[in-house]
Amino acid sequence: MTKKKKVQSFWMWVIGSVTLRLILVYFPRNLNLSSRPEVSTPLTSLRRLAEGYWLKRSSMSPYAGSMYHGSPLLLTLLGPLTVTRIEGQPDQLLCSLVFVIADVISAILIRAAGKSLQAAYSSSLKVLGLHQLSENSEVLPSGDFAALVYLWNPFTIVACVGLSTSAIENLVVVLSLYGACKRLASLAAFGWVLATHLSLYPAILIIPLILLLGYGPDAPPRKLFQQRINLEVDNSSSSASSHLEEEVKDQSRVLKVFAWRPVVHFLIWILLWSSYVLVLCGIYIQKHGGLQELFKRTYGFILTIPDLSPNMGVLWYFFAEVFDFFRSFFLIVFHGNILLMIMPLALRLNHRPCFLAFVYIVISSLLKSYPSVGDSALYIGLLGLFSYELKDIPFSFLLFAGYVGVSLLSPVMHNLWIWRGTGNANFYYATGIAYALLQVHYVYPSSLNVQI
Amino acid sequence: MDEAKTHNNSNKPRPRLLKCLVIQIISHSTFFSVVCFIAGIVALLLLPILAMNTYISENALMPGSANNMLSSNDVTVANKLVKDLTDLKLRSNGSPIESRKLIAQYMLGLDAEVTYHNFYPQLNQFHPLHFFTSPDSSIISKNISCASVGINTVGIIRAPRGDGKEAIVLVTPYNPKKVGSGDALSLGVAYSVFSLLSRVTWLAKDIIWLVADSQHGEYSSVSAWLREYQAPHFHRVVVNSETCNESSTMEGKLHSRFRRAGTMTVALVVKVAEEGNNFDDSLSIYAEASNGQMPNLDLINIVNYLAVHKQRLWMKVSKMESLLGSKWLNTLGVFFESIGQYARRLNPQWKFGIPANEYVEGTATLASSMYYQGLGVPTGPHGAFRDYQIDAITVEVSPKVSPTKMNRHIDFILRFGRLIEGVVRSVNNLLEKFHHSYFLYLMTGPSKFVSVGYYMIPFALLAAPLPIVAASLHVFSSKTTSQAPGASEVDASLESWKWIYSARKVFVIHLWGVAISVLPYFLCQIPGLTPTTNLTVWGSLAVLSLVILYSILGYPTSVAVASGAEKREWVNLKSVTLTAVSIGLCLMSIINFATAEIGALLIVPFCLMARPLMLDIQARSMRTLLLATLNLALGFIAFPPAAFFLLKSAFGYSDGYNISDYWNWMESLWAWNSATYLYIGMVHLPCWALCIHVLFHSC
Repeated sequence: MTKKKKVQSFWMWVIGSVTLRLILVYFPRNLNLSSRPEVSTPLTSLRRLAEGYWLKRSSMSPYAGSMYHGSPLLLTLLGPLTVTRIEGQPDQLLCSLVFVIADVISAILIRAAGKSLQAAYSSSLKVLGLHQLSENSEVLPSGDFAALVYLWNPFTIVACVGLSTSAIENLVVVLSLYGACKRLASLAAFGWVLATHLSLYPAILIIPLILLLGYGPDAPPRKLFQQRINLEVDNSSSSASSHLEEEVKDQSRVLKVFAWRPVVHFLIWILLWSSYVLVLCGIYIQKHGGLQELFKRTYGFILTIPDLSPNMGVLWYFFAEVFDFFRSFFLIVFHGNILLMIMPLALRLNHRPCFLAFVYIVISSLLKSYPSVGDSALYIGLLGLFSYELKDIPFSFLLFAGYVGVSLLSPVMHNLWIWRGTGNANFYYATGIAYALLQVHYVYPSSLNVQI
Repeated sequence: MDEAKTHNNSNKPRPRLLKCLVIQIISHSTFFSVVCFIAGIVALLLLPILAMNTYISENALMPGSANNMLSSNDVTVANKLVKDLTDLKLRSNGSPIESRKLIAQYMLGLDAEVTYHNFYPQLNQFHPLHFFTSPDSSIISKNISCASVGINTVGIIRAPRGDGKEAIVLVTPYNPKKVGSGDALSLGVAYSVFSLLSRVTWLAKDIIWLVADSQHGEYSSVSAWLREYQAPHFHRVVVNSETCNESSTMEGKLHSRFRRAGTMTVALVVKVAEEGNNFDDSLSIYAEASNGQMPNLDLINIVNYLAVHKQRLWMKVSKMESLLGSKWLNTLGVFFESIGQYARRLNPQWKFGIPANEYVEGTATLASSMYYQGLGVPTGPHGAFRDYQIDAITVEVSPKVSPTKMNRHIDFILRFGRLIEGVVRSVNNLLEKFHHSYFLYLMTGPSKFVSVGYYMIPFALLAAPLPIVAASLHVFSSKTTSQAPGASEVDASLESWKWIYSARKVFVIHLWGVAISVLPYFLCQIPGLTPTTNLTVWGSLAVLSLVILYSILGYPTSVAVASGAEKREWVNLKSVTLTAVSIGLCLMSIINFATAEIGALLIVPFCLMARPLMLDIQARSMRTLLLATLNLALGFIAFPPAAFFLLKSAFGYSDGYNISDYWNWMESLWAWNSATYLYIGMVHLPCWALCIHVLFHSC
């Protein structure tokens, strides 16, 4: 009953969220969201993109002057929209519309991915003979739930209305996950290549994507299947019935073995797509230093963290304080930190590639050089996919209150520091640390819960 | 998951100390909250005793180290200006052009750069989105007649030793249409200092003397000038230029363009009170800017030091007069004094306790300091400077006899002028912006203050029970639900997310709070309504919208009803409400501490106590009935209008209980963009409503 109800009202909720976004877009510029450090980082700010486009139009390198650090593809896509003004409408209306559409598409993709995940999960539960569990897991339409969480999350709304390009970055990440869930190697590869191209950090998602294509969507650990089959074989050998043996064969087919074909396809597609993207970028930036300049100004900017303007993360303060001769050492330490966690997590959660992807996204948004609320929007939305498994996550209320508190406190502290001058950088940084702590607390109990 | 749990258990033979502590606190939450609350109130009452003496923290200031240079020559000319101004008033019946011209002439006589700054009075308009945004230069009310144009006269002296990058501002508010003798005297004082500064060699910062045209209020003229100085706007209001061009009659000596000096480091607003106080020349300091922001304490310290030690002036900061005579405060003071004496007898090293009369004075000053900070309305034109991070105070001298009857103007100007000179000279020594001393403090006397480190303690103690009780209620409700029989596994696990329903309700009520905070904006658009009708309309609309919102969004859902949970729902609701209150109070304590403190005193006991009346009535014991009455009383006190009138009568401001007073008070809050208004509308009122909801919850 609940399921039907949920599905019926799903589209109403989607329309509602779009309306809310449009209302906020049309609101007077007093909201000023696009200049908030929490929303627009040097990488995702549309103002910088417009500047880059302007530079490009006056036949200069879009990367001149350390203003723009995004991809040339975004420049071609959004650049013309930043200069198109419609009389009597808000300045960046077209861009806002693009972001709204991106959000909606992401939500729909999350929903579809969630459905396929759920189907796969309940079928594997049935194989295990846990019919009771599988029925229960169907009651919660986690796909719908995740999509709505993504759409109605205030972080998503703020990032969308605040003209941050993270809406598009999130879209390509979701696209790759969706493609992998549906076993569409080309789509997954396309999403991955674009996501990596746009913001570098999704590069680590290649492991969960390969696992997803190889093993299929999330399932209980493989040893459970093994046990089950052993049990069945024991039983059947005593009764020695041919019919039962047939069934066991069926079930052993369900037992996941790594499928190499889609993975190889995926890798080939990655090769194709990335060379395609590189060629496009190369053509675009041919006269302004070529691909080398592109890598230096985008990936180099992400990795060396030259912009120390305050944001939600913890790195800006650290690198503002650290001595110059330690800088490269700590750069390696912090980026190595992300890489360090890849392998252990991949080993532990290899039967749950989607969840693995979620954990990777949380970790990268925690240790990112320029994090923004858009990143949190993505992982909070994805968490909805695991709503059945996480239904009794401890301290859910504490986490919720923490998120509300930090997201309200952050602008106030920023105001106290920048506008009133009675506080200092430590005030704002304190909220950054609190936020990071929350994220750790967010991923830790949830990864404990998703073990089965 | 089970695997993880067993793993945890086997690894930890005994729970961690911190975890243990948290569990202990949560399980004894009632005890802890009572202790914390009482400790909070005691700590608040102890604040005057904990107050520290002020000291000058910035070494570069060196106040009073140089001899005063203000000579009788400067003062004589200044006295002549005062005389001319008063004569002008008598002769030409106070023509504004003449007096302005006179001041400009005097300024020109000192080789200062003089300009007029025309401005258009900007009505304090309530705009719901203008809180917390940086000062905006784009809103100007259109259709202004020429007569209402205000004209500030600005004189600038360039420092011979400076690089023109920094400036000190002297402000004298002055109404050319109605020159008071106090205003004229304050102009004289400022002129004497200005004339001295125009020839000294040690000046390192430019001096700006702003004669602010206060016919539209002192604040608006200063803020208009500051806005032009800091953030010039390029779309001007078109005013009929022929009639307004009177300023250009000053034959070309004036600069026609707006003149600027460097970054302002300090601003001093100089005022002379119109009334004599029949006691002694005394000096009052007003420092509170918008939203309880204070200038750096060093600025007050310099003025205090120079006034008391150099000029032998009597220093005053505002007090709650009604508290001075209160008996219970005196008793408390005597009590604390005796404790202090006892402590000293035990160990002479312990310097605890102050004399009872000092305690009462300190408390009265603290209460007034807290009230004005909490109100969030600036106490003078200095408030405009703080919006641009410039430290500023108003220094008001009230002479022994009224300036009109005063026959020794010269002495007065010399004495007061030397004070201002000393302050300017001291600030002139500054190498950096004020940053050494405190920004966050409460005054308990002209030379005593409570720093943020001390005054946070009472607030923290008051607010600490909120999350503790919220956690314990949350734990309680999840325990009881897990025992509930007859639910399937999914339902049972959904129970752990049941707070979502309460959270939704809390969210809806807060949404309602936002809506009614914005309502007055629309009510103000309708002309010709009296405050009483406004208040009535506001109140009825608020109730109506509450009913509508609640019936649409906040109604208990089918899931909650099906599981029979709505009976225990109040536990969850209270837990979420407490969380919301604590988040709101924490936020407010950062924005405006005093508001949060007063608000916590009002709302925290009610929030902690609130429980359904039905439960108490059903129990029918003496204790529960007492509890129920206490709840009702606390609920009444926490209701904003009731609290307003109760506080008003408690502090002896009761001049009849006119309901329109409340509207006027609220109006003044939003007109000055005070965050207190937002706090009342978005935190206090919704939480009060939620607690009332808990109170009348059916069980």
